[in-house]
Amino acid sequence: MLHIEGLTSGYSAIPVLNDVSIKVEEGQFVAIVGPNGAGKTTLFKTISGIVRPSTGTIRFANQDLLSIRPAQRAHLGIAHVPEGRQVFPSLTVMENLEMGAMTEAGQRDWKHNIERIFEWLPILAERRGQFAGTLSGGQQQMLAIGRGLASSPKLLMLDEPSMGLAPTIADFIFERLIEIRRQSNLTILLVEQRVAEALESADHGYVLEAGRVALEGNNQTLRADDRIRKAYLGM
Amino acid sequence: MTQVLEGFLQALSAGLLIGAVYGLMCVGLGLIFGVMRVINFAQGDFMMLGMYAAFYFFTALGVQATFGNTFGPFVAILLAGPVLAVFGYFVHLTLISRVSGTRTSSLEGEGHYAQLILTLGIALILQNGGLLVFGSVLASIRTPLSSSAWELGPLFYDVSVFINKARGIDAVVSLVTMLLLTLMITRSRIGKSLRAAADNPTAATYMGIDVDRAHRIAFALGTGITAIAGGLLATNYPFHPFVGVEYVIVMYAGVVLGGMGSIIGAFWGGMTIGLVQQMSTLILPTQLQNAAIFVVFLLIIFVRPQGFFGRMVERT
Repeated sequence: MLHIEGLTSGYSAIPVLNDVSIKVEEGQFVAIVGPNGAGKTTLFKTISGIVRPSTGTIRFANQDLLSIRPAQRAHLGIAHVPEGRQVFPSLTVMENLEMGAMTEAGQRDWKHNIERIFEWLPILAERRGQFAGTLSGGQQQMLAIGRGLASSPKLLMLDEPSMGLAPTIADFIFERLIEIRRQSNLTILLVEQRVAEALESADHGYVLEAGRVALEGNNQTLRADDRIRKAYLGM
Repeated sequence: MTQVLEGFLQALSAGLLIGAVYGLMCVGLGLIFGVMRVINFAQGDFMMLGMYAAFYFFTALGVQATFGNTFGPFVAILLAGPVLAVFGYFVHLTLISRVSGTRTSSLEGEGHYAQLILTLGIALILQNGGLLVFGSVLASIRTPLSSSAWELGPLFYDVSVFINKARGIDAVVSLVTMLLLTLMITRSRIGKSLRAAADNPTAATYMGIDVDRAHRIAFALGTGITAIAGGLLATNYPFHPFVGVEYVIVMYAGVVLGGMGSIIGAFWGGMTIGLVQQMSTLILPTQLQNAAIFVVFLLIIFVRPQGFFGRMVERT
C-alpha cells in the first residue's frame, strides 16, 4: 500500500533521512522505532508533504505521492496523527473530529465513524462540547487519534502517541490502538520510542538510526535480535 | 444638571452607533491580522476603495435611480462588499500569498517583514492611484437620513436623546453583517476550516484543508467586511483617497484591544474605540479625540495585555 524507496529527505541542505526504504502492505501494522533524532518524524512529514525529499520515491495505493499536493494527500486516505497531538485548541472536541472528516470518505461515513470513535474512546463523547485546548494530554492524544479515524483512512500514521504521557495513560492508549486495529483491520504505521510495546503489537518493524534503516524484520525476528534486546529492550 | 445628563446620553448613543460600525471595520482586519496573522497596512485603503465603490454604485451605476435617495446608499454599500471581497481575493492570489501562508510558515518572522513592505507599497499605490482616478475633491454618500433624527424620549424630566437616522441604520446593518459572519465562522464547514487553519496550519494540512485557500477566503472576507464598514461610515463622513490612513491605525488598535485571533473581540475593540472617541468630546476638545483613544488603549493593554478576548496561552 505504501512503498517508500531510496528516500533522502530533511531540512535545507542537511539530510535527516538517508536512503530509507520502507514498505507497508494492506492490513499490516508496521512499527518504526529508534532513538530521538533518528528521523522518524521527518519521515512522517515527508509522507504528508510538509518536508520535501531530495531523492527517492513514495507510492501510495499505486500513485506517485510526491506529485500530489500536501493538502490532497489526506483525501487519498492517509491520516496523520502528528507528534505532540496538535489538536485545534480553539475548536471543540466535536469540531476537531469534524475537521478529521473533511475528506470525502470521512463525510460519507461520518455517522458510522463517530459512533465507533465514541465507542472506542468514550471520553471524547463525554467532552464533545469542550474546547480541545482545555483537555489533558492523554485526552488530547485520544482526540488526535479520533480525528485521524474520522477521515475513514486507508492508512493511519501515528507519530509517538505515547509522547509526554504518564505510563499508565500511554499503556491505555496502546491497548486502545490494538483494540481499534482488531475491530477495524486498519493499516497502521506507527512511530515510537517505547520500543518494547511497539514491537510487541506490530507485525513488522524497522529500526531507524541516524537517518538509516539499521534493521528490519517481522515481530519475532526483531524481538529475538540480540542488538535490539541489548539496546532497546534492556535484556 | 439635565443638560449635562443629556449631553452624556447623547455622546453615549453616538458612541454606541459609531462603535458598531468601527467594530465591523476592525472585524475585517481581525480576520486578516488577528486570525491569519498577515500584516496588512493597506486595509485602510481597501476601505477607501469600498467607499468609492459604494459611491459609484450609488451615483453612476443606477442604484440611486432604482432604489431612490433614502435607501439607495445602503444597497450600494452592500454591493460594494462582495466587489471588494473579489478584489481582496485577487490581491491575495497574486501578491499576498507570495509572502504569507505555507510559503513562509517555516521562515523567521513568518514573512511579516515582506508583508509589511508589500502592503505599505500597495497602500501607497492605492492612495496615489485614487488621487489620480477619483480626484482630491471630498466625496460623500449622503442620504436624507444623514440629516434627520429620531427623538427618544423625553426619557425622564425633559431629557431626550436624538438618534441620527443614517447612523442608526448603519449600526443595524453592521450588527446584522457581524451576526451573519459569526454564524458563518462558528457553524459552517468553511468557517470551521478557517479556524482550524488559523489554529494550526500544519495539522490543518494533515486534515486535507488547503491552508493557502483558507487564507485567501479569509483575506477576501476581511476585505469585503471592511469595505462595507467604510461605506457605512461614508454616510456621515465625507471621504477622499487618503482617508484610509486615518482609519488603519484605529483598526489595528481595535484588533489588539479585542485580543489577537478573536473575531468577536475585534468587534468589541472597535466598539470601545467608538465609545471613547465620542465620550471624550464631553471633556476634551475634538482635536484630542484620537489622543484620548490611544490613552485608553494603553491603559487597557496595561492591565490586560492579551486584550479582551485574547488567550494568554498562545498557539502551541
